[in-house]
Amino acid sequence: MTLGLPGHLARESLSRALANAGHWAAFTCLAIGVVLGAVMATFGQQPGRWVGSLLALVMIALLALVARFPTVTLTVLYLVVGAGVVFTVTVMVMDDGEFPSTNNAVLALPATALLLVGGAGSGSAIGLTWATLGFGLGEAAAFLGVAVAGGVYSPNFAVCFAFAVVVIVRVFDGVTRLSDMRRDTGLHRASQQTRELAIRHDYELRATARLHDTALSHLVAIAAAGSGPVDERLRVGIRQDLGLIVGRDWAIDHALGENSDAGPGVRSAGRPRSFAPAADTPPARNGRQNGWRGRARGGVAPDARAPVEETVPSLAHAFSSAANAGLEVRVTGDFAVLGTLGPRRVAALDAAVAQCLINVARHAGVDQAELALGLGGGEVTVAVMDSGVGFEESEVPPDRIGLRTSIRARIEQEHGTVRLWSTKGIGTTIVLTVPEGGE
Amino acid sequence: MSGHLRLTQQEADPVGAISASPIVAIGATLAFLLAAGLTWSHWGEVGSPLAAVIALVLVAAAGTAASFAASPARAPFTNDRLWLVVMLAVGAAIAEYVSTIGNNRQLYDDFGPAVIGMLILSLAPFCTWVSAALAGVLSAAVLSILVVGASMYTESTAPVAALITLNSASVLAMSAAAAGYSYGIVAETLSWQREANRAALQRDTELRAGIARSVQQSRVSVLGREVLPFLAGVMTADRISVADADRARELAEALRRALRAGIESTWLDDLAANIRMNRGVDTIVDDPTGAAAALTADQRSALTALISWLGDAARSQLITVSFAADADGETHGDITLVAETGTSPPSRRELDRFVAVARAVAFRADASLTRENVTVGLSYDID
Repeated sequence: MTLGLPGHLARESLSRALANAGHWAAFTCLAIGVVLGAVMATFGQQPGRWVGSLLALVMIALLALVARFPTVTLTVLYLVVGAGVVFTVTVMVMDDGEFPSTNNAVLALPATALLLVGGAGSGSAIGLTWATLGFGLGEAAAFLGVAVAGGVYSPNFAVCFAFAVVVIVRVFDGVTRLSDMRRDTGLHRASQQTRELAIRHDYELRATARLHDTALSHLVAIAAAGSGPVDERLRVGIRQDLGLIVGRDWAIDHALGENSDAGPGVRSAGRPRSFAPAADTPPARNGRQNGWRGRARGGVAPDARAPVEETVPSLAHAFSSAANAGLEVRVTGDFAVLGTLGPRRVAALDAAVAQCLINVARHAGVDQAELALGLGGGEVTVAVMDSGVGFEESEVPPDRIGLRTSIRARIEQEHGTVRLWSTKGIGTTIVLTVPEGGE
Repeated sequence: MSGHLRLTQQEADPVGAISASPIVAIGATLAFLLAAGLTWSHWGEVGSPLAAVIALVLVAAAGTAASFAASPARAPFTNDRLWLVVMLAVGAAIAEYVSTIGNNRQLYDDFGPAVIGMLILSLAPFCTWVSAALAGVLSAAVLSILVVGASMYTESTAPVAALITLNSASVLAMSAAAAGYSYGIVAETLSWQREANRAALQRDTELRAGIARSVQQSRVSVLGREVLPFLAGVMTADRISVADADRARELAEALRRALRAGIESTWLDDLAANIRMNRGVDTIVDDPTGAAAALTADQRSALTALISWLGDAARSQLITVSFAADADGETHGDITLVAETGTSPPSRRELDRFVAVARAVAFRADASLTRENVTVGLSYDID
């Protein structure tokens, strides 16, 4: 939401709101005029007062037109007709001799409605000009009416008071806008700035997480290896990841593109299936050399054994990571359940599962993991299990941020949950749950 | 439509309402002058001077209450404040009726309806259009009872219904003006907001792409530009040297640090860094739980506006923004903003604008100003 009105719109908006205020007051005055005429004609035994009601209705109709189409022509027409109404009402009222002078409540009704015309154009000066015209015409019409019907002309106090209020409000409006407090507060600039800051922060974090996901494990492996020949598996892993990054606008989240580019997916129709490490599969290596993730995924998939289904999303990145880490993954469940998720959510799940599998390969001390997929209660659940060494979550050093960011942050960003059970010497189970749908 | 029913200008356009706040004092003064002038003009009809004085005192009390209630420092204006003002003004009208009872030859010179209408009109920026209209109609209903009483000894021979209709004209017209203004300005503001939000969504893709590109110039991307060529070098090399291993360790550590800093920081840290860098005002954010990320968009805007305004080298030397949560950290959070003032410290009036804006976006806000410090306390509920 954007707070308040920007400075450049405030002038027109306030002017229209003030004109609207005047119109509502004018309609009220005229409606009271209609009722008053009807009351006097009905209860006051003065049938001639119906004319007053009728004239007030004519002014209401014209004012409605001015409010709807604030043109100069209609404004002038309203002022002319309104002045005629004030003149006629003055003649009617003064002829009866009911009031000693034109300073009375009955004449105040049409005359006030006349000065509250609002009128064409916007801004305080124009608003004041129309109000002054309305006020002057109303008083002139009353003066003329007295000249025709007799009686004493006296400026109408209620009309003068209404005119004074209009002048004060319009002048106040003009003066306060000159002080330009809106610019001083800078609320709109702040609104844009916070929006930009939040997006920038989000991108920075994504960019860092992406770099972390792709490069950190390689850096750690290089640092741990010390001097010596480059391990072939490391070389393959680096090649694949550089292929993902280099030459691309890598700060942008490619979740959507990744899924649509995924090509042949992996499906396991409710029965366990094993995937051998991709490094052992020559076609996979060729695929990665092209630096195109979709093809790399095709290579990771267990070629002829896996039924090909273009529309079913997969956890290709996870399997690719597992393969690079030399981890064998057994799958239970149907990948079709991922079809209930939006592409971005699948990508987040894929990345989180990949990090789980990398963790298993790095820390569990086993070369096998199990993956179970399920759908129930409007949620997709993926469990990653290993029979490794296990750990205490509280004992994980704070600088180990894989679990916190790559897994938990991604899943929580998709409104999902991460649960972890680990027992030393028994193994670890991580259950990732995300709600169906999503972007 | 429902938005128009529920919102006041103060809620939809807080800065506009702050600009409008002096009009309440002007309206209250005008109402008092009107009451005093008309009392003086029909003093011959006054049978009870005490009641006439009480009436004037009540008008002054209603005007004072309105001015206090609508001041930016006491924002937001609530409905019960409107009713307090209206009740005081209606009390003044009753006292005026009592003061002239039996002698009131003309209703036209009674100030009651005009004073009530004037006060409702001057509070238009602070009440919904329904409240304003309702206040006018109910006041007119009370005044009608007085007219029935007064009609027995007025000069006019018109039917009582006509006197009631005429007498209520000023209060109804002015409360209608208040309702019309409130409705109009809220409708204008909401319509602009809808338009602005639509435009912002349309611009979003462009903005994101632009920011994504500029992110590549950031610290993380610079790090990426060091990491990637290094990995490429290792990939094409036959052997890893000791220097490579050391370099890999350094880069891994730098990457971890960058990610940790990224996770623990929020948009507010970026804002503080901007102010520090561009305006030379030290800005410290103490937000251990990243609570700034949970603020609503409007709250972020209000906080950004305040910090940016304080973060002027002449206004402040040092700004500290601290976040704290309640014991369970789930119901509400507190933000304390302390600025050590610079060569031209902010005025109380200037600060009140921001406090009023903060209150408009669901912050409970208080500000205190001393010679050395500006302290703004903001408290908010956590959904």
